Amino acid sequence: MSKGAKFLFESAPDLPGNERVSQYGLALIRSVVSGLWNVTVEGVENVPREGPAVITPNHLSFCDSIFVPYALPRRAWAIGKGEYMDDWKTKHLFPAFGMIPVDRTGGKAAMDALDTAAKVLDGGHLFMIYPEGTRSRSGNLHKGRTGAARLAARCDAPIIPVGHVGTLDVQPPGEFMMKPRKDVTVRFGVPMWARDFGDPDDPRVKRKFTDAVMFEIAALSGQDYVHTYAGDKTAAIEESATRPTAPSQVVPTMPTKLASRQHRVKDVVAATDVVDPGLPPSVVTAGPATAPTKPTRPTKPTRPTRPGS
Amino acid sequence: MNLASIIDGHDGASIALIEDGRRVSYAELRERVAAMRAHFGSMGLGLGDHVAVACGNEIHFVVATLGALGAGCVVAPINPYSPINELKRKVAPLDARCIVIGAVARDMLDHADEFDAPLIDMKTVADSADAPSSVLDVDPDHLAFLLSTSGVSGTPKIAMLSHNNLAWVQQSIVGDGPQQLRADDVSLAVLPPAHILGLNLVILSALRAGGAVVLQHRFDVDESLRLVSEHQVTMIVGAPPMWQRWAAADAPADAMASVRFARSGAASLPADVYERLRTHCGVEVRQGYGLTESSAALATGRGLDVRVTSVGKPLPGVEMVLVDDDGEPVDIGDIGEVVVRAPSVFKGYLNDPEATASILTDDGWLWTGDVGLFDDDGYLYLVDRVKDIIIVSGFNVYPAEVEDVLMEHPNVRGALVVGGAHGATGETVIAHISGDVSVEDLAEFASSQLSRYKRPTEYHIVEELPQTAAGKRLRRELRK
Repeated sequence: MSKGAKFLFESAPDLPGNERVSQYGLALIRSVVSGLWNVTVEGVENVPREGPAVITPNHLSFCDSIFVPYALPRRAWAIGKGEYMDDWKTKHLFPAFGMIPVDRTGGKAAMDALDTAAKVLDGGHLFMIYPEGTRSRSGNLHKGRTGAARLAARCDAPIIPVGHVGTLDVQPPGEFMMKPRKDVTVRFGVPMWARDFGDPDDPRVKRKFTDAVMFEIAALSGQDYVHTYAGDKTAAIEESATRPTAPSQVVPTMPTKLASRQHRVKDVVAATDVVDPGLPPSVVTAGPATAPTKPTRPTKPTRPTRPGS
Repeated sequence: MNLASIIDGHDGASIALIEDGRRVSYAELRERVAAMRAHFGSMGLGLGDHVAVACGNEIHFVVATLGALGAGCVVAPINPYSPINELKRKVAPLDARCIVIGAVARDMLDHADEFDAPLIDMKTVADSADAPSSVLDVDPDHLAFLLSTSGVSGTPKIAMLSHNNLAWVQQSIVGDGPQQLRADDVSLAVLPPAHILGLNLVILSALRAGGAVVLQHRFDVDESLRLVSEHQVTMIVGAPPMWQRWAAADAPADAMASVRFARSGAASLPADVYERLRTHCGVEVRQGYGLTESSAALATGRGLDVRVTSVGKPLPGVEMVLVDDDGEPVDIGDIGEVVVRAPSVFKGYLNDPEATASILTDDGWLWTGDVGLFDDDGYLYLVDRVKDIIIVSGFNVYPAEVEDVLMEHPNVRGALVVGGAHGATGETVIAHISGDVSVEDLAEFASSQLSRYKRPTEYHIVEELPQTAAGKRLRRELRK
């Protein structure tokens, strides 16, 4: 069975997790993985051996969080659910493997997550984030959330697109056990920089950059791309973090849909770990300039009928 | 209420309209409008009757429009500069009881027998002396205007707008605040009055404020700069091609020194034009966003810190949601179709329930067909039109983005990008270019500037590219 890349243990005393547990734990996991699965790694030369980078893989299975870090030549960190810290089984182990717990239930959770990630990158380390935000249940590659692009621009770090194949066979959705002796391929694409996509202060650049990254991930993973978010957006709405300044307010409301437009049936899955939590929805209600009244919650917009749609 | 009452209550001695050196005070305007109203009444016109008004930016337009509104009629302004056959096509679906002819449309009088409705020559009406009648109080939802909106979507439609629709926008502009239009403001009316911007944001808003309106029949760069200087114009609303001409004009640096409001609408203002106007003419042009179907303004940069490529923030009272293909709100910072609900949203298209249902829901949500995004501070940025998006291997390609990149090539004068069918990727990007440039040059340039899926696979070098007078790109012409 092929081995992963030559691994360099990178000391990071400022980040959560016991260094010694981490060193031995990672060595153990690497040895188990290379013994049980046939992992092929391509393009590892694209991952910088030092300095910051944002690692952005496609997300199909829980075990992606094992195989992608295994394929990396350095330690990587990622955001995980704060709840893991309440369980004695995961409290020490997960941070040692690079998970940084962030409470994702608060009002400014998305910003906390981004700040934490920025700390990792500013320290010159690798940060891993699933740009789809959650696992894809359709098998397709879904629209990327812009968190990775924001991070890369903010920290002047490259994004390394990652496409992997085979993890679904190792651990299909809903299965706890990982099936051994399966083939997994992890491919790293060339580094991509926010500055190549226009003025980072132009808000349109983040989407442009994100779409370009997703295009490379699709090419690396061989997945079909669909321009809709993976999973349920409710979590992202609850985690509303950035709010437009007065006079506009963000309120989680929805316009009524047009009767004639075809709606896709969306796969709804629970949010998993190491995800891009997304930002609040683009809903702006500007209150009246004089005698502001208590904002009412507009109903979900209905859709008109579009001929030929 | 009645929009015709916007001229009431102002100082009678104040100047309301200026045309070719002729000045009309508010007192005189009220008299002339009352006489016109009486004239319509004497013709048997009243509540709900359609009146077509074929005038340019002229005193006759204001008198005829306010006269008809005051009589309860619904006004359909039409562009008098169109060729006679086009005028006939435009008037036909209006079901007009009469057609008012201003000074610039007098050619129509030679074709009077080709129209179904009688023509009223404003020149002769102005001399008539009918007994005045009072302004008819109408329901706020009563129709005030029928506006032709061809836009960029193709099929011409007629938008029905109520008194309240337009009044709501005017009230958001007029006031005592430093960023609002006041009685001491002088507005330049150079956009056609048959366009919602020229009609509502310029003429009617200025009259509601009690200010003066300088009427220029047709856009001429030197003449307009002369008018700005002579009348110390404080408010200019223009379309991007006009701002482009003003920016390029060989005018003294203080030519626009009196202007305190400079607005651009109808299409996107190029950043270099904004910059030249700022540095060369001393005016900071703010962009806004709106549709005929929303009586113009939905968002405005008025009173905000300038973000050059943004159209500002939604007006107070506008509910605005950006949604994805499934109609679900997108994240902040992400691109979605602009869906709005506001008191200014129109009543539907005249005699076209199918077209109405295609963009307007029963509970008042207007699906604009524009795609845009909000930044973290709530500024809106427009990206493109929903119908123009090209889908390559599942990825959205926004033609405007590709066009903007191609326009950066020094030898490219114009660029229009459309989608074409492609066996492997679903659609592909096709670029139509005007300029002295080779296909090889363009392909090389694109490969250094654009992600792979956004690069055109076909280039067509053409002499001229189609666009509307307001500067909107007419991609549909190239898809034919």
